[in-house]
Amino acid sequence: MPKLTAESLVVIVNAAVVSLFLVGAGAWLARGGLSATEPGSRQNVGEWVLQFFVGKAREMAHGEKRDMILGLVSSLLATAFLFIIVSNLIAILPLPLLNRPPTSHFSVTLALALCAVFGTLIISAVVKGTGKTLLHLFWPNPLQWVSELTDIMSLSLRLFGNIAGEYMTVALVFAVVPWGIPLILHALGLIPAFVQALVFTLLTASFLANAIHDADEQPAAAEPAEDEGAPASVMGRIPAEGRS
Amino acid sequence: MNSVFLALVAVVPIAVGASFASLAMRYVSTAAIEGMTRQPEIAPQLFTAMLIGMALIEALCIYTLVVTLVIAQRL
Repeated sequence: MPKLTAESLVVIVNAAVVSLFLVGAGAWLARGGLSATEPGSRQNVGEWVLQFFVGKAREMAHGEKRDMILGLVSSLLATAFLFIIVSNLIAILPLPLLNRPPTSHFSVTLALALCAVFGTLIISAVVKGTGKTLLHLFWPNPLQWVSELTDIMSLSLRLFGNIAGEYMTVALVFAVVPWGIPLILHALGLIPAFVQALVFTLLTASFLANAIHDADEQPAAAEPAEDEGAPASVMGRIPAEGRS
Repeated sequence: MNSVFLALVAVVPIAVGASFASLAMRYVSTAAIEGMTRQPEIAPQLFTAMLIGMALIEALCIYTLVVTLVIAQRL
């Protein structure tokens, strides 16, 4: 019987605060209208944040549904990354209740992993059709759907373990030495906070690439070089660029 | 079950898991740094691949942490 404890209430409120902060920041960055020819300063900041995800999405977007893949994939990746990194970094705020990161609660990371895996399935269904996606779960190997379950488990447990371990370490040390030492631990905690958000995003991107790509094998081989960024193959680019 | 025994048992998974995960991470980071110093042109791609590989190794270590936490909650 699930009960609403004070801890889970704090986590729910913090997750809502993070979401509201992201929505507000996005609305503030897009205020005053967007322009393709004369981007303002706020639009520049927003594009700087998003260009990594658009580059990731551009690597896997080709074929006739290129624009649709670009929009769906980049928005999914950017949402996951921004939510996770803001949730992780909330731990360094010097406020009493607000510094409990939502990602240090297993239900939040499980929800994120479910969103990532089912989002992958839904995008794959949109791109190559529901039948092919469902067939892909069973066809070459009838137990292929198990890998989706283990993806959910590994994504959620990795994020939860890292952030909760970090949070518990800081809390334990803080109970013993309240001054000085927690600062060092917080500074070290910035690294896993960033790396775990990046790893979650990159693994989701590789699941997405696998799910989308096997629909069209021939464009991957005969793909022309993209306009900017997103090299088609790493090895082919080295002689052209030379040593830097 | 007395809690001293459970406390001793709870330490074992995380100790073994962290030891072997750190060994595996040593191989990954050594190979990645060697590759980066030999070919600095593809360092960003190697770094990304290294992060993903480390995350997959680390997931196993995190599973042992979860087992430890489950045992520790029964103390």
